[in-house]
Amino acid sequence: MRPHLPWLSKNCLALSAAAVLSAGAVAACSSSGSSSSGATGTSSSPSSGKPIVVGASLSLTGDFSADGKAFQRGYELWAADVNSKGGLLGRQVQLKILNDNSQPTQASTNYQTLFSSTKVDLAFGPFSSLLTTPSASVAARYGYALIEGAGGAPSVFSSPANQSAHNVFDVSLPIEDNLIPFVNWVASLPPSQRPKTAAYPMADDPFADPPVQLAQSKLQALGVKTVYSKIFPAENASYKPAADQVAATGAQAVLLGSTDVPTVAAFMQAFQQQHYNPKMFVCAAGPDQGASFTSAVGKGNATGVMVPNGWYPGYANPDSQKMVQEYLAKYGGSPSDINADVAEAYAVGQVAAQAVTATKGTDNAKIITYLHSGVTISTVQGPVKFDEQGKNGSAAAFTFQWQQNGTAFKQVLPASAAGSVPIINPKPNWTS
Amino acid sequence: MTGRVTSTVSRQRAAAILGLVVLAVVAIVFPLLFPSPVVTNYAVYALIFVAVVSAWNMFSGFSGYISLGHAVFFGSGAYAVGIAAKDWHITGVGVFALLPLAAAVGAAIAVPFGLVALRVRRHTFIVITIAVFFIFQLMAYNLNSFTGGTIGMSAPFLPWSPTSFNDHFYYITLGCAVIAIVMAALIRPSRFGLQLRAIRDDEDRARGLGVQAMRVKLTAFVLSATITGLVGGVWFLYLTQVLPPSGFDPLFDLSLVLMAFLGGLGTISGPIIGALIIEPGQLYLTIKYTNGYLSEILLGALFLVIVLFVPRGLVPTGGEWVRRLRTRGRPAVTPVQAQAQAPARAEASDAPAKGAKR
Amino acid sequence: MARQIYQAIVDGILVGGVYALMAVGLTLIFGVLDIINIAQGVLVILGAYLSYQLSVRLHLDLFLGLLITVPVMFVIGVVIQWAFIRRLRGRERTSMTLLVSYAVALIIEGILYEIYGPNAKQLNASYVQSSVHVFGFYLSYIYLYGFALAVAIVVGIYALLYRSRFGRSVRATMQDETAARLIGIDVNRVAAVTFGVGVAVTAAGGMMFGATNAFNPNSGYDLISRLLAIIILGGLGSIGGALAASVFMLTVESLVSIWSPEWAIVVFYAALVVVLVIRPTGFFGRQPVRAQ
Repeated sequence: MRPHLPWLSKNCLALSAAAVLSAGAVAACSSSGSSSSGATGTSSSPSSGKPIVVGASLSLTGDFSADGKAFQRGYELWAADVNSKGGLLGRQVQLKILNDNSQPTQASTNYQTLFSSTKVDLAFGPFSSLLTTPSASVAARYGYALIEGAGGAPSVFSSPANQSAHNVFDVSLPIEDNLIPFVNWVASLPPSQRPKTAAYPMADDPFADPPVQLAQSKLQALGVKTVYSKIFPAENASYKPAADQVAATGAQAVLLGSTDVPTVAAFMQAFQQQHYNPKMFVCAAGPDQGASFTSAVGKGNATGVMVPNGWYPGYANPDSQKMVQEYLAKYGGSPSDINADVAEAYAVGQVAAQAVTATKGTDNAKIITYLHSGVTISTVQGPVKFDEQGKNGSAAAFTFQWQQNGTAFKQVLPASAAGSVPIINPKPNWTS
Repeated sequence: MTGRVTSTVSRQRAAAILGLVVLAVVAIVFPLLFPSPVVTNYAVYALIFVAVVSAWNMFSGFSGYISLGHAVFFGSGAYAVGIAAKDWHITGVGVFALLPLAAAVGAAIAVPFGLVALRVRRHTFIVITIAVFFIFQLMAYNLNSFTGGTIGMSAPFLPWSPTSFNDHFYYITLGCAVIAIVMAALIRPSRFGLQLRAIRDDEDRARGLGVQAMRVKLTAFVLSATITGLVGGVWFLYLTQVLPPSGFDPLFDLSLVLMAFLGGLGTISGPIIGALIIEPGQLYLTIKYTNGYLSEILLGALFLVIVLFVPRGLVPTGGEWVRRLRTRGRPAVTPVQAQAQAPARAEASDAPAKGAKR
Repeated sequence: MARQIYQAIVDGILVGGVYALMAVGLTLIFGVLDIINIAQGVLVILGAYLSYQLSVRLHLDLFLGLLITVPVMFVIGVVIQWAFIRRLRGRERTSMTLLVSYAVALIIEGILYEIYGPNAKQLNASYVQSSVHVFGFYLSYIYLYGFALAVAIVVGIYALLYRSRFGRSVRATMQDETAARLIGIDVNRVAAVTFGVGVAVTAAGGMMFGATNAFNPNSGYDLISRLLAIIILGGLGSIGGALAASVFMLTVESLVSIWSPEWAIVVFYAALVVVLVIRPTGFFGRQPVRAQ
């Protein structure tokens, strides 16, 4: 007798039972999952009308967790402020934040849950261009606008979903233009003071490379010789060989395409070991992370390091100052500790608030039209005006520098902008 | 006695077929029962893993060669669809025609991969699969103009409503899962499947018995890779994006091992159950324990419990419980003295007759 | 150009020393217990955090702190082996050990995240940034010390394996567990102590890694894959092989990164595949006594 599918006869009952149970469990999970967890509602007193629910997926754990948490604080600060003034259109704002563990799959699932199960009124963006693209697809399918502050890579705007639905709105500076103030400053120096040579090490990341590459082409046009320009993998177990090579070139300026503090720290350490001190040192990201940065590299070493950004704690903007005070009151520390992500998140809220107020409701189609209408909105990061791709063309680009022995994070460029202090040039030698 | 055995067998057979039919009906009407896109979203991801884990199990579970490199096929399938869609300017529903390409790419990569990797044994094999996995991930990063580098590839935008989008993908992934399961079900009882399991139990002895080990292993590897590549393509179209770390995700491979293990390595229904439990569970846990790393610690503790207490997997263990339930109260061995004595007496009575005749 | 090549070779050797420290423990565990310990990456990071704690709270020098972290990690290793790994037997042992070690890694990583958060830390000491000027090159002290430590540990473990009675038991178990049991060796104890030693060595590796890289709980994943490649290349169970393979791999990577840092890592793994095709047991691996 031929053995007939022995596995099936023994386990068919178990199998069908398990399948039905799983189906039931999945259904139960997804319907109950929305009502519990993760709600960071800030609605206090009952007011007229039901609350406006704002949904977002943030990276509270995983690779992006430091930034994700900063974003969470920004969203929460904004919501608290709005509610204390009576809410939007008289309705309290309620935040519903889900953790995506820095995973695109989870972010996509989270937004599906927020739109379909929780039925949020508005959607705020996740952290990082890599998570924003799939989230925007989901939002486009459901007809929601995605207002975000951390997805500025060109790929976000050129994605098929955005090309079709035009629903992505990035309130922050498009990253490509990050280093333009630096380039302009070098151009403003008399030729004898400009760096003769420059090195451009870049981490393989859509956030870090575009600004450095753009700066490289412009600086080359100014006559600055490129002695090193290589892309290294973003997750590199040892940056030492690349850093040593940069040091060996003796370049007078280093534009480091970094995405985080560890990369910058590793390069700085290798430079120190090689007794190499570039006269100008600017990083795409990392030095803007406040205390995270100075504690990793040492305060003395931080002096003179520059980083571009759209915001800093001392920004002379009343909304920004108020936000800084509230942040310090709630979380302590000093202004330099505040991660720029907090401001990005807060600005997202402000843009959404104005759109809701102007369209007198939470109809996303109307909000999308409104935001594309060329209106300028003022936020803690400065003015916001979207082009047809959703990029903020009015964003201010600033360059910052650590000064006063690593205790003060100051705006230095554009030199003529309000609030800029004199730039330290050349960069002082390493301390230790 | 024979009559009773046959009727038990045919009763089991009928039950088996009934179970399958019930399952098929539930699977087909699922989106109608639970129309919410949130539920179908979980279902799509769960089915993706059912298909891939079944395919993985088809090779690793049956042959004993644990592969931690299946993400190579998954990601390659995803990228194949993305690159083809971009280069051949395919938009809209036409992208689904690219799925066979994804399967073919999976198979094409598996051949040289297998030829190199299957020459070594156990631990070395595992590490080679890891090494090849990283090579592919890094190539996805480095070959910028081809793969889009860190930006990855985006899928064309499909203008369906959320519900119908998820429903369409539900049925597609269901189809993939059925293909994988049917393939595994056909292989296991066949001679090919027997050869695979012989290799698992003792490869040298199998070789000695005439099993063409390399050919058998390679065939299973390629079959497994074909399905994995196909599902990778589907996943790409669903998520609309593939990036080097998401298409080639190291934790993906470990999840496959866990799901197959939970259900029961080498069984057919095991991977299905393992995937159905773990994938939605993981997505759900991340939403529920949204703050802090408690979910990670819990997940790790859960894995430990599973491995230490259900070491053979749920399906074999479950099968054992069912059998114990069914045979409770009945002795394990049926005494046969009554029948043995009768022939003995018959023989004894024969002998004197024979003897008497002489 | 020549200078760049020399610099790259020197870098490769020095960084290779750091990796050797991390790999030696892994290959020992592999060779004796026949298991893939995925948690090794996270254990290195745990060692780094322990050193960090001692250095920041008690202001202990990094190398002195090893006197504490090494025994602590030894105990942790023994506990892990005894609690989880010891029971794993049977046909599915390979996948079980994979999953168990992965589970342990998850738990340790989660705990580290809870305690220290995701921000990167780095171990600091006066000699971390300073270097000595030799033949026109700057060799940083920390790497030199680390290399010396790696050699010392390799020699020490060799002595343990080849000059002590315990070492004989370990080698016997490596060769044939059943036979070892038959001649009266307490295989369980050997397994536990070996695992402990393997993890204890990672304390040193962790300290070196933490002194030369910024790390956070997530840094373990990238590490473990490189470590696995290194020990396979060096030959499972071969201590000297781990050292040789580390230096080899890191030097190759360092040289290739002169032309292209992106492709350097690919070459790392491709070199592994190539070597394995030619010689499936790695540089110094033994042929398995009975095919697995």
